[in-house]
Formats: sequence, C-alpha cells, structure tokens
Amino acid sequence: MTQAVIQAREVGMRFHTREGELAALEDFSLDVHKGEVVCLVGASGCGKSTFLNIVAGFLAPTAGQVLLEGQPISGVEPRCGMIFQNYALFPWMTVLDNVAFGPRVNGASKPERTERARHWIRVVGLKGFEQAYPGELSGGMQQRVALSRALANEPEVLLCDEPFAALDAMTRQILQQELLRVVAESRKTVLFITHSIDEALILSNRLVVMSARPGRVKAVYENDLPQPRTLDVQLTDRFLELKREVWDLVQEEVVGSMTALQRP
Amino acid sequence: MGGKALGLWQTLVYGAGGLLIFLGGWEALVRLGVIDAYFLPAPSDVLRRMGAMAAGPDAVLLHDVRMSAQRVLMGFVLSAAIGVPLGLVMGMSRRVRALLGPIVSIIRPLPALSWIPLSMLWLGIDEQQKYAIVFMGSFASVLVYTTDATLRVDQTLIIAARNLGASRLQTVLHVMLPGALPNILSGLKVVLAIAWTCVISAEMVGANSGLGFRIWTAKEWSDTGQVLVGMLSISLTVLVLDILFRGLERLLLPWQRESGRS
Repeated sequence: MTQAVIQAREVGMRFHTREGELAALEDFSLDVHKGEVVCLVGASGCGKSTFLNIVAGFLAPTAGQVLLEGQPISGVEPRCGMIFQNYALFPWMTVLDNVAFGPRVNGASKPERTERARHWIRVVGLKGFEQAYPGELSGGMQQRVALSRALANEPEVLLCDEPFAALDAMTRQILQQELLRVVAESRKTVLFITHSIDEALILSNRLVVMSARPGRVKAVYENDLPQPRTLDVQLTDRFLELKREVWDLVQEEVVGSMTALQRP
Repeated sequence: MGGKALGLWQTLVYGAGGLLIFLGGWEALVRLGVIDAYFLPAPSDVLRRMGAMAAGPDAVLLHDVRMSAQRVLMGFVLSAAIGVPLGLVMGMSRRVRALLGPIVSIIRPLPALSWIPLSMLWLGIDEQQKYAIVFMGSFASVLVYTTDATLRVDQTLIIAARNLGASRLQTVLHVMLPGALPNILSGLKVVLAIAWTCVISAEMVGANSGLGFRIWTAKEWSDTGQVLVGMLSISLTVLVLDILFRGLERLLLPWQRESGRS
C-alpha cells in the first residue's frame, strides 16, 4: 500500500484551562489515504475539531505527531483546505474575489487567478453568480462558494468541519452528492467531521467513531455500501444495520461521558 | 417590531406631519401670547431672522457655519488619522492594548470643556486651539471604537485567510481592515457628532467667529432669535454632514448595500 496522505501518530492534545488541564485527544492514530473520504463521528466535545485544527496546522499537538505526505506539519498548512460550518466567506468580496483569494495571496497573476476562480465556480454550479456578494446567496450556495474557494487553492486534502450542519435537509442531501462528485472528479482526499451518522454513512469510504473526551479511535468501519448512496441505499438493511451499530457506539460514549460529569 | 415597514412616501409624510404639528403648535402658542416671544420667538420669526443673517451684505451666518465646520473637520480628521491606525494596532496586539489601555481610560471621560483652560494657555485662542479641543475631545473615542471594531472581526475569517495561504500582513490588509471597516465607520459617525459639541463649547469660551460664538454673543444681548438661528444652523449642518457621511459609507461598503441590511 502506498504511503498515507495523512498519518496521525499517537497524537495527544492537552489544553490549560481555568478549571485545570483538559485532555482533548489522547493516543489518537489514524491514516488517511489518497482519494479516501474519511468521516470522523463522535459526541460533541470529543476532540474532532481539535484534530482538524492540528492537521490544518493551527494547533501543535502536545504529544505524538501528524505527517502530511510523510513530512511533519509545521505551521499553517495551505495544502489542507478547510471548509467551515458557517462558510467563512469574506462578505466584502464578490464570489469571484472570494474564490480567487487563495491564488491571489499565493502570487497568481490577475488573469490566471480569475480564470482559475471561474473554472471552480463553474464546477460547483454557480456560473452567473461571479459578481454576487455572499450576503445575497442562500446558505447552500454560500457553502458551494466555500467549496470552490478551497478547491481553487489546489489543496491535497479537504478538511470539512460539519460543513452542512446549518443547512436544511434537502439542501444538505444535494450538497453531499455534489461534494462526492467534485471530490471524485478532482481526486481529492477528504477528512470530514460530522455528528450525523447518516451523513457519515452516505459520504465515507471509512468511518471512524471517536470516544468521548479525551478523543481516541473507538472503532473504524470500512464503509462498503454501494455508490452512489441514494435513498434506496439508505433504506437497505445493510445501511440500517451499520447505522444501528455506529449509533450504539456513539451512544455508549455520550452516556459514559454524562455519568462521568455527574460524578462529584 | 410589530407591523409592516413604512414605505418611503409614508415615512416622509409622517415626518413632515410631525414637524408641522410641532412647529404649528409652537407658532400658535407664541402668536396667542401663551409664550412670551422674548423668551422663545415663533418659528416664522426664527426663519426670517435666519434668512436675513444668511443673506445680508456680510452673510455672517454662512461665515460662522464655514468656520465651525472647518474646525470640526480639521480636529476630526486629525484624530481619525492618528486614532484609526493606532486603534487597529491596539485591536491586534494584546501588549499594545495593555500598554495604552489605562491612558485611554484616563483621557476618554474628560469632556472637551475641561481641556479649554490648558489649551488656551498653550495655544491662545487662535484656530489651532479649536483644533486641539476637537482633537482631545474625540481622539480617545476614535481609539476605543476602532479597537473594538478590530476585536469584533470574525475570527473564522482570519483562520480561513491563513488557511488559504495568506501571510500575517496579507491577513491584516485583506481581512482585518475590510472586516473592521463597517464598525470603524459607524464609530466615526458617532465621533463626528461628538466633535461638534466640542467645537461649539470651544467657540463659546474663546472665539470671535463660529456658531458657538454667535449663540454666546446673542445670549449677552438677550437676542433669543439669534440663539435659535445658531442652534438651528448646528442641526442643519450636522444633518448635511451626516448625509455626506452616509454617502461615503455606501461608497466604501458596496457589499452592505447589495445585501440590504447588515
């Protein structure tokens, strides 16, 4: 097997807070291979976002290390493009300028970055909205802009932090399919955080269930459901069986962490 | 907020109606002798007086407006030119904020009036003294508003910019500045009104021109008509400046116009 794009080796992360030390991650190990879509599922506060921020280079782990294409991550890492739950588009820039932002700060000439931005705007289906401001677009359209902005920067990996959590159910389904299509076309690797088990089952090649804080890998599922995961697939016995299994694991952790909190 | 929004025409009609009732009532009370015109002249007299002061051979009123406006703008531009960059730095650096915070806290509560004795000692009563009063009265507010605007820039946007490969300097130029701009501008709009109160106070104490001077000398002669003309002129001038400032805002923040409310 070829070398994994992301290799997390016994990663630990501790924060100093007013209430004392807080372990967000402990002994967290995970390999993500090229072209894979890996979904991290876990109860809130299990360190999912912490791990994403480590991969993006915004946090340095307090133990272990994360390798990107074999090299330790040092500092902010533009090869890992982030997609945020609240889109994080620059409201004062048009769609075109938002998407061209990455190439612009990386020194691309104006015609070059405009062309690249136009290309990715077309890929996500927003042709004709180049001159619109984010505030004029619906949430689903804004997240398409965010996706094309990340892709225009030609990252190796897409890091998605619950990107569809704020969208309505219909839009979410459409965007899930769009994401899979775009990712397949551009052969990107995706690390996707969600607390929706359905979403994880629809998107992932591999599904990682995390334990409650401190976050560790509790279970890994190879997701063998047939692609594309249409509504028919979502109603198969295999889907429901997997969903129940994952749900039991997640629930165990939620209940566990709640009784831990109640302890004096 | 209950009910439908009013259309432009409705707003205008209601506004004009309110004004007519207010002015009509006032006029009637003076005409009927309920109010002594010596203490409060009727609005029609004030307007006539205003016309005379603005039109007469020396057009003294227009000169006053020009002098006051010039003092306000000089002092205001000066405090914005220093206060905005410094406020940005304070918003971005905890150290600078900790260093300057106490000084700002000491200066900010001081009313412009309290600077008059010192400024007169240092600068006499010429134009620089007026600029200084406006500057001292508005500078700390510019700092506080700008610092606050910078701190309120969405942190996710900064993370997003850095993630896309922007350097720290690029993040400041392309994200922090435009992100803080709307709140900086609304802060400056408030400060512009503060600057006006500064200049009127300064002119009342030591000046030989300007709206504050005009109001104060009128008081010496118990000329209530001229006092009201001066007060009305302040309102009108501030109104005009406010409209100009809004225009500037629309020019600088096209994205807020496009998306309606912000």
